[in-house]
Amino acid sequence: MELIPKTEEQPAVTPTERLAYSVQESADMLGVNYFSVYRLIQRGKLKVCRALRGKLLVPRAELLKLLATE
Amino acid sequence: MSNRFDDRRSTELEDKAHAEAVQHFTEHLKQFPTSREAVDRLERDIAKIGLAANMAASKPTPKENIIQVDGDGQWHKSVDLMDNICLCHRPITGGAEYAVVEHFPARGTNEIWNRGWNAVEVLKAFAQEQRQALQIWTEDMTAQVKEFLAEKFPGQDLSRVADGFMHRLATHTTSHQQAQSHGENRSRGMRI
Repeated sequence: MELIPKTEEQPAVTPTERLAYSVQESADMLGVNYFSVYRLIQRGKLKVCRALRGKLLVPRAELLKLLATE
Repeated sequence: MSNRFDDRRSTELEDKAHAEAVQHFTEHLKQFPTSREAVDRLERDIAKIGLAANMAASKPTPKENIIQVDGDGQWHKSVDLMDNICLCHRPITGGAEYAVVEHFPARGTNEIWNRGWNAVEVLKAFAQEQRQALQIWTEDMTAQVKEFLAEKFPGQDLSRVADGFMHRLATHTTSHQQAQSHGENRSRGMRI
């Protein structure tokens, strides 16, 4: 298998470096179903922002905060 | 502009877009009806569950039904409400206090959602929050489907597909509910 050599101009971007995640990605990472995430959003336990079309995005910092405090 | 009364036949592109959206959001189509039905059941059975909780509170609790809530001492499990969520009680002077408690298996913790001295009122508050969470889910899905279609089929007006998908999400039922509905229809027929 051929591997593309990494250069300094092309830093490897891993999913954990993203700033925000969709609800389903958040649910997968937390190991809960989608409804649990929407419930956490409804209760204000997870603060979310909206993308251009209104799609909910959960900031990575919020997920880490939830895990750290509960 | 989309028109819900627009009954012209769907185009080939709309059929393709709908099929791709259904495939992409399969898990939502599976999980949403299950969650909605759980909330429907909860709302329908509030009085029954409240009564069961009152009865549980008037009896001694078996040891295995005692749960520890983070920062809030011990509670006694009364009735299971949903996956990992139950109604609990504990004795207080002159009666009982009730709380909806969720267990988070990944963290092994228990957390209180709603609490009060009246089991039915606690359940009503919880059910209302669940309904709001379903509404947030619906709004998010509408946005996600529109985004998906706009990215997959740029420049196309697929508003009818988005509307059709959301209608499917809202009306799709699980096999459990279909069986229940069939049973109700049958028993209604027998009464006549």
